[in-house]
Amino acid sequence: MTTPAGTRFTALLDNSVLSRLERLRLDPLRRLTVHSRGEHLTGKGGNSTEFSDYRDYVPGDDVKNVDWNIFARLNRPYVKLFRHEEEMHVVLLVDASSSMLFEGKLELAKQLAAACGLMGLMNNERVSVYACHHAGAQPELMPPSSGQVSRRRLFQFLEGIQGGGDSPLEAAVDAVLRRHRGRGVVILLSDFLTFGDLNPALNSLFRSGLEIHGVQILSELELRPDLTGDIRLLDSETGETLDISGAAELYGLYAEHLNWQEQELTAACQKRSGRFIRVSSKTPVETILFDTWRRKGWLR
Amino acid sequence: MSWPWPGFVTPMSAWLAALFIPLVILYFLKLKRPLQQIPSLALWRQVMNDQRVNSPFQRFKRNLLLLLQCLVLGCLVLAAMQPYWSSGAGRAKYLPILIDCSASMGALDQQGGLSRLDVAKAEVREIINNLLADQLVSLIVVNSSGRRLTDFTNNKKLLLSALDHITVSDVPSRLDDGLRLTQALARTYSFERAIFLTDGNTPGAVDLELPFQIAMQLIPPGGANLGITELNARRGAERWEIFVRIEAAAVGGGEAKVEFYQDQELLGAEEIALDPGEAQRLVFRAPADKSSYIDIRIIPKGFDSLASDNTAYLELPTLRNLRVFVDLELKAFRKALQPIKGVDVLPVSGSSKPDQVLGYDLVISPSADETVPTAPVALYVGQVPSDIGKLVSIETGFVKVVDWQRNSPLLRHVQLTEVQVSDNPVSQKDVQDRDYENHGYEILAHAAKGPLILHKNRDGKQSLWLLFHTDHSTLPYRVAFPILMSNLVQMAMQQAGLSEIQGQTTGALPARVADPRTSYSVVGPTGMRQDLTSSDEGLLMGISAPQVGRYDIQKGLSTVAKASASLLNASETSLKNVDTIQFREVSIQASDTKLNTDKPLWTEFAILGLVFLAVEWWFFQRRPGGW
Repeated sequence: MTTPAGTRFTALLDNSVLSRLERLRLDPLRRLTVHSRGEHLTGKGGNSTEFSDYRDYVPGDDVKNVDWNIFARLNRPYVKLFRHEEEMHVVLLVDASSSMLFEGKLELAKQLAAACGLMGLMNNERVSVYACHHAGAQPELMPPSSGQVSRRRLFQFLEGIQGGGDSPLEAAVDAVLRRHRGRGVVILLSDFLTFGDLNPALNSLFRSGLEIHGVQILSELELRPDLTGDIRLLDSETGETLDISGAAELYGLYAEHLNWQEQELTAACQKRSGRFIRVSSKTPVETILFDTWRRKGWLR
Repeated sequence: MSWPWPGFVTPMSAWLAALFIPLVILYFLKLKRPLQQIPSLALWRQVMNDQRVNSPFQRFKRNLLLLLQCLVLGCLVLAAMQPYWSSGAGRAKYLPILIDCSASMGALDQQGGLSRLDVAKAEVREIINNLLADQLVSLIVVNSSGRRLTDFTNNKKLLLSALDHITVSDVPSRLDDGLRLTQALARTYSFERAIFLTDGNTPGAVDLELPFQIAMQLIPPGGANLGITELNARRGAERWEIFVRIEAAAVGGGEAKVEFYQDQELLGAEEIALDPGEAQRLVFRAPADKSSYIDIRIIPKGFDSLASDNTAYLELPTLRNLRVFVDLELKAFRKALQPIKGVDVLPVSGSSKPDQVLGYDLVISPSADETVPTAPVALYVGQVPSDIGKLVSIETGFVKVVDWQRNSPLLRHVQLTEVQVSDNPVSQKDVQDRDYENHGYEILAHAAKGPLILHKNRDGKQSLWLLFHTDHSTLPYRVAFPILMSNLVQMAMQQAGLSEIQGQTTGALPARVADPRTSYSVVGPTGMRQDLTSSDEGLLMGISAPQVGRYDIQKGLSTVAKASASLLNASETSLKNVDTIQFREVSIQASDTKLNTDKPLWTEFAILGLVFLAVEWWFFQRRPGGW
């Protein structure tokens, strides 16, 4: 990628980050890919240049795959097998509801979406992006795109996402699945703070052939609430209030619930052959991409 | 036994409890609950639901701040109501506190320990500190008299200051004055109880009728003690014989060395060992060729609780004959006196002028005019005192002595039954014996219609008046006459200090002859200074001597005389305590248990309220995870 000196390709990520990302790709746990084409190698025989195995020739096989050197030595025809390369669909679901407007949660979500999208495009995968705002409304969509030519389109779409709305994550997933077709990976960039049950939505994603990568982005106010005394809490999405007396006393219980939620979400994703990770909105995106995700095997 | 129960000084302050209503309303209105916007309530709702399910005291915890605020307000309301633990003896608004500060209150309980007065002061200090807002205390010290230190007040600073200034006086205790003072207070202030703190070394009976009760708080007595209880000197052949009585306290005796000093020179010493309650008399002899000061000192070999009775003083004059002026006309008197040993009858017959240079110890004269010399003891024969001249007239006619005071020093062993008198004193109409007494005269012998012999003691001088002339009576021919003269000589010798000298006790020193209308300063053993002026007659009177020791009488800057005072009180030395004081109608039982007084509790509630306030502040402001 070449850009004029001193200019940034996107406001979301530094050029240096983009350069490093071009050499990485998402590493899904399963091979949930499109058979027609793509760069993800399957375990089956394919037409890539990467040798996989030999097998006996059977009538009907393309003779061009016969290894003539072996035939000359053994006088028996053997067919060379190559690994098959398939196309993977990368679905990015960005939660752009009001709850994501706190302490740079949405910004981080857009940065991570840009990074994942870029890796997908650079590896000839189909990338589609959904930004969810209001419950019941259609999410903003960047249609499935592929190829490096779609980079600018991807970045412009992500940069244009404005926060606001009350869309819960499970409703956003339903809205995405109503429009999405194809197997691959779905990356959920959200705070996962919902009053509803996420399990049906995760089941739907699993059934649709999407490997779930959950990224929970929480602000410091949610990770370590600094609240004391008698206060009235106001929900940024619903406008509901909750009176709390002796908030500091509840912190221990809150921390327990936070940990419990992380464990539940991790278990829910893993049960569906997926992954889950919680990050703080204060964590630099480079740290998440090149340190956390690399160490956890999300990228290779 | 009555148990303490709580009460309130200002129960009307309970109206402040109405503040609970706005407190609760304001709390639940949550007018000042700050609004905090957060991304989502999802987690917080779970937390609150979990808290309500898991915590059995969730309501309590939820309103813990309200509870703390209620506790703070409750404590403040209670403090404003000024609660107290009642002693059960009825709460007194006016409380007189009598503190015994006689000599025995200076006794220590052990070597280097507290004096009885210190213990009493500590108890009074506690009472003062526990005073309720509407309680007023008056401090009265009782020793040989009573003295009011403070008016009824609740000014603790004033009371504590007065209490700190109370010191032990080396005088025996007498309750009468202190109780009379308290009785007088009872006429102005209404109180039903007075507190009396004493070691119990007081008279067992008081001739008083009190309109209030006395709570007698007994301070435990001191430890072992030896002390000088008597000291006197008697005239010997050519020297003084000094008699010293040393007694041991009832609680413990001990061993000691008794030293005898004359003019600071050690003349003798004796070792003594006394069991509790025992006494021993010692005799020392002192030369009488000059006036001298005698010191008797006890040097204890162990612990001695009371120091003030370890020293006693005596002033000895030079031994000399009694100088008696007898008018030359009174030949019967001169003849009766001349055989008595140690008496110089002056003027010698043939001399026309009395010897005024040396002064007389006794004057016997048929007239009382100014030409007659003065003396400490005077006998006027056939004279009616001028100040009672209107009360009695002398008529002619034989009369007999009707009655006389047989125990008076002058008439001791004197038989006047057969004495005939031709001068008949007749009291004027409606004149009673008390009319003579009102003029300061005591009737020693009565005739049928008036007094025959009068006695007056004024300004330390004794005057005896025979209203009949002895030449007009058969008295000189009776055996009674030489006895009468002998008694008169004994009185004069006693007055002149020539026969027996008693150690002067503390309290007040006797009047001393001085220059008329002259200012003197008396400096006591502790440096206490009194400024006094002598009377027109040349007597220095009213010298207070509250401490054992020597007193310097100074005129200007020079010491003109010395006096001394000693405790010499067997009761104080014995440290005995009475457990009952008998009054006219009731007896007061002493108690050694600590006095129960109302204990105010408002400070405790105020502090508790402050603690609750601090807890509330901490609870409200503490950081997350700061348990």
